[in-house]
Amino acid sequence: MLSYSRSFEKFLFSNVEKSLPFSIAYSTEVKKEVKEEFRVLNLKNVKRQTQPKRAQKQLEALPPRTNKMPVDQDWGSVWPGPRSFHPASVPLPVRQGYVEKGVAPDKYANAELIKIPNFLHLTPPVIKRQCEALKKFCTPWPKALENDKECEKHFPIEVTSSDYCHSAPTIRNPLARIVTIKFKLSSLNLNERAKDKFLRLVGERYNKETDTVAIVTDRCPLKKQNYDYAMYLLTACYHESWNVEPWEELKSEADMEYYDWSKNASKKSVEALFGKQTEDIPNVKEYSEAVSTLMNEGESEYSVTKYGDSVRKLLGLPDAPKT
Amino acid sequence: MLKRPERFIIKCAQLHNSYIQSLHTTVCLSSQERLQSFRTNEENPLNHNESNTAQFYKLLESDKAKLFVHGGLPKSFETQAKTFNETCLMIRQPALDVINCMKNIDYNKPAVRFVLYGKKGTGKSLAMAHILHYAFKQDFLIVHVPWVGNWMRRCKEQSNSESKEGYIDINLDAAGWLLHFKTQNAHILSKPKLKTSRDHVWSKRETTPKDSPLLELIEHGIARIKYASETVNAICEEIKILSNDGKCRTIVAIDGYNAFFYRITRVFTVKKEPVLPEKVTLTEGFLNLTKFDWKNGVIIVTVDEIAIAEKDQISHLPRYLLGKQGFEHLDPFVPILVSNYTKKEVLSCLDYYKERKWIQPYPGLENEVEFVSASNPYKLMKICASL
Repeated sequence: MLSYSRSFEKFLFSNVEKSLPFSIAYSTEVKKEVKEEFRVLNLKNVKRQTQPKRAQKQLEALPPRTNKMPVDQDWGSVWPGPRSFHPASVPLPVRQGYVEKGVAPDKYANAELIKIPNFLHLTPPVIKRQCEALKKFCTPWPKALENDKECEKHFPIEVTSSDYCHSAPTIRNPLARIVTIKFKLSSLNLNERAKDKFLRLVGERYNKETDTVAIVTDRCPLKKQNYDYAMYLLTACYHESWNVEPWEELKSEADMEYYDWSKNASKKSVEALFGKQTEDIPNVKEYSEAVSTLMNEGESEYSVTKYGDSVRKLLGLPDAPKT
Repeated sequence: MLKRPERFIIKCAQLHNSYIQSLHTTVCLSSQERLQSFRTNEENPLNHNESNTAQFYKLLESDKAKLFVHGGLPKSFETQAKTFNETCLMIRQPALDVINCMKNIDYNKPAVRFVLYGKKGTGKSLAMAHILHYAFKQDFLIVHVPWVGNWMRRCKEQSNSESKEGYIDINLDAAGWLLHFKTQNAHILSKPKLKTSRDHVWSKRETTPKDSPLLELIEHGIARIKYASETVNAICEEIKILSNDGKCRTIVAIDGYNAFFYRITRVFTVKKEPVLPEKVTLTEGFLNLTKFDWKNGVIIVTVDEIAIAEKDQISHLPRYLLGKQGFEHLDPFVPILVSNYTKKEVLSCLDYYKERKWIQPYPGLENEVEFVSASNPYKLMKICASL
């Protein structure tokens, strides 16, 4: 019973609360209407008087640093490392670029100057200073290696690899692993057959003009590993070229990559023709050379004529008439 | 069987001559006018020398009838010769060179091989004709194959060889060649010393006994066409023996020699399979003759692009045309280049045409013809020929 009466009381009270604000609101609205002006119907949305915008305060650019630079400053500390051009740091009236009429643009806001690489960090005094700093890590040049010839003789293998120095989250550059070794083919102890096999093994790594073999290794992740691998390749190729496999003995005349006169039918027929050994036949050397050129260097009007002349000499025929 | 064709051919030749004599375009000129620089009166090739270069000399009808009845001169040249009512050959450097060598060869040494080479239409066959004429005058025994291509690429018939397994005979062509050989050497073959060295057994009943004249062997081949190919090989063998013994001096002249080494022939077996050149019976005899293992002989061959299939006509140089095998077979040989006309030769040729009333002279003719023909003898002849 008690609980019931309480709930009823609550209900009643809440009703009173709801009705009260209505009455208050009504009374304030009447007061406002009295105070304000009559509102204008603004259909065309004509601008009313606007508040003036606050003027943006222009930041004053600092005068270029070059103005304050003393004449005897230490340039190495102004421009310590490689960097693209900055007009305010370089106290030089440089100009770059082209305009149709007038002079070339000056250094300020000049993209052309920024684009090109500069060597402002490598001025002679700076280089000198850096060399001085490095000197304490160097050892004296061996006296025996006076010229390039001596160097080549004592150190026939030239090893080339690159180190990279730059600011980045990692100090490792994958290009640093690549190792190139170069050496002259003549510095290897090879005979004619072994040389031929070596050249077949190295393939296009041999440069005929300079007589050098260049082996580039980049398959291992580290420089040391690649260097070891290159050395291994060199050793393996060298010893393999001295190896004579059983199937290599089967190489016949048809497999020859060049024409060797002394192993060919031409020699046999000449020997049969004269009934003598090759050494006893006069003028045979010129003939054999002519045949070899004809076969090795391909046929041309010139080589055929040469061949003809040598045959005439060999057989003792009168010379060809000159045309 | 071929005796009748022989008679027929001779008759034809006679008919042609009479026909041309009644129609020929030339006017007989006095002998003085003929003595111009483009022509020499020296009709004997023995006396031709350097001073005669680019001059024409007349090949006498009697010589021509003996040498070139059954081929040897190119067809277009033959037609022109008929029109001109005379066969004139130009004395050119390559032929003179070979003739000079032939005069200086020591015939007691192994046979020397000459290879005439040059681009198409430069006159290799005509140089060969000049050399043959010289050899004919020198009483050489002439073994002349007018065009090997006729055997390897246009043979008349083919049959399996009976004596040799897997070989192909081209007997009609062989018999034709025997006839050619007989005509060319009629005066030498009648000599009694040319005898066979051994018995040639053809079948149970047919043999040519030892010491029978060579002529008999040839006539047997012509009469019994079945054995013609073998006869040719036998004759080649006999000639070699006879020359070696010093009974005769031989010139071997083969035109289109590289056809013997060109793999693709148009000779087919019964099953229509193409035959390799070395499987043709005739090849053996002539390859045997072009070896150096005999003396009292001289061998002159031409290598020609026309003797091989058109798709392989890449170069005119001898090593390419002969191939490895052919080169090794001939090596060491003397290559002799037959080149295009020189300026002097062009002028001489045009002078000759003018004299024959074959072309009308007008200013600038020489330069124009030389330019248009690029100094190629065959083209020059074609440009000046009738339509």
